[in-house]
Amino acid sequence: MAMKVSLFAVLMVIMSGYKQQENLFFTDSGHVEFSSDAPLEYIQASSNELAGILNINDLSFSFTVPMVSFQGFNSALQRTHFNENYIESEKFPNSTFNGKIIEEIDFASPGTYHIRAKGLLNVHGVDNDKIIRCTIQVETGRISVESSFKVPLDEHKIKIPSIVQQKIAEVIDVSIRFEMEPMNP
Amino acid sequence: MRKYYASLLILLLIISYNVSAQSLEDMLNRKLEESSEPEYTIATFKTGRIINGHSIENPEQGDLLFLVSHRFGTLNTGFYNFFGLDNSSTRLGLAYGISDRFSVGFGRATYQKTWDGYLKYKILRQQSGGSGMPFTMSLVLAADINTLKPVDLEETYTLTNRMSYVSQLLIARKFGPKLSFQITPSYIHRNLVERRIDQNNIFAIGAGARFKISNRVSLNAEYYYLLPGQSANDYDNSFSIGFDIETGGHVFQLHLTNSQSIIERGFITETSGRWLDGDIRFGFNITRVFGLQRKSIK
Repeated sequence: MAMKVSLFAVLMVIMSGYKQQENLFFTDSGHVEFSSDAPLEYIQASSNELAGILNINDLSFSFTVPMVSFQGFNSALQRTHFNENYIESEKFPNSTFNGKIIEEIDFASPGTYHIRAKGLLNVHGVDNDKIIRCTIQVETGRISVESSFKVPLDEHKIKIPSIVQQKIAEVIDVSIRFEMEPMNP
Repeated sequence: MRKYYASLLILLLIISYNVSAQSLEDMLNRKLEESSEPEYTIATFKTGRIINGHSIENPEQGDLLFLVSHRFGTLNTGFYNFFGLDNSSTRLGLAYGISDRFSVGFGRATYQKTWDGYLKYKILRQQSGGSGMPFTMSLVLAADINTLKPVDLEETYTLTNRMSYVSQLLIARKFGPKLSFQITPSYIHRNLVERRIDQNNIFAIGAGARFKISNRVSLNAEYYYLLPGQSANDYDNSFSIGFDIETGGHVFQLHLTNSQSIIERGFITETSGRWLDGDIRFGFNITRVFGLQRKSIK
């Protein structure tokens, strides 16, 4: 009797693990673009290394992007300053967004959905509650997401020195788009 | 007994729930670690010069660097000479990044009316992850031409008489966000020297360091030691200390040095001036970076 119960318990643990994997969608090549529109300078950069997991059962997600992967800028030196002086990428290598989708979506039925993702956005080591509106397109075996949102720099303690205040915007425009596919365990 | 097993089962179910609901973020990070690429160290120094000598930094592809350098007279020439500020020696230079690792530069200095040019190539890059290379190593190959008219107008000098060549290996390591250190073994060859006892071939070892005081200000120091020889007897080792102040596209370097010349052959092998005697000069470099090539956004 004892053996049967413990065997059953072990099976439950193993099976719950397997069941978990079927509900995870993954990407590691998502596109993130940001722009700073200031009176004296316009700066634009983008990355193709946005990675994330979405659990379509409980609607939770986790996303991360390495800050050193951003390219573009108006000069290579500007990119170095972005990492060294503003984002401090050595201390805070990634920006992350973890949370849950507010709306109850049935990922089994294909279609286009407008949803709000609620979670903690961490940039420069500073967390901020954020609700980000996204457009999700659900197809069998693929989930495509697009979104645009704004990030105020002082919410994440990114300081703009007074000498360059006219060259860096206080609020950065960010847009993302990515496609997720079922995750291989 | 049955109660015991029932509670064990419940406990196992609770554990299994916790295990399978492990943080999505941890799962993501573990998955990404499987395919991690090396991260190259950036910004070991704020600009391509520590003070007088080269640092392993070079302009990235498409960036044009404009460097204006001033060295003044010595402080011990007193107030009448405004502590040396009345006597100024300058260099104007440009450097361009052909690739992220390879750059070329040239310039002209007041000192002996010298034109100089150099090639700089980053051979090894310090990285975390990947091969874990612990330092960055660059090679500088420079040549300079002294274009002074001879004092004795009957003497003529050929082009090669006027030339000197400098080869330097720059080996630097960034120890954390604030401290960087560089060693610079150097070899200088002068085609024509004044006296028979003067060295045509001179070896020296440079050492440079920078300590970041704030995000935009760092304290730099640099020393070049001449290996024993006639030059080491006749001249002094170059020692400089100063601040780097970086403001977006400019880096201002303000320093005190005992070297008047701004070219390698000059400040390494021909420095006359002893710190303890007050032969200290104020000097500054201003670097401005122009991004000539916008990197395309994919």
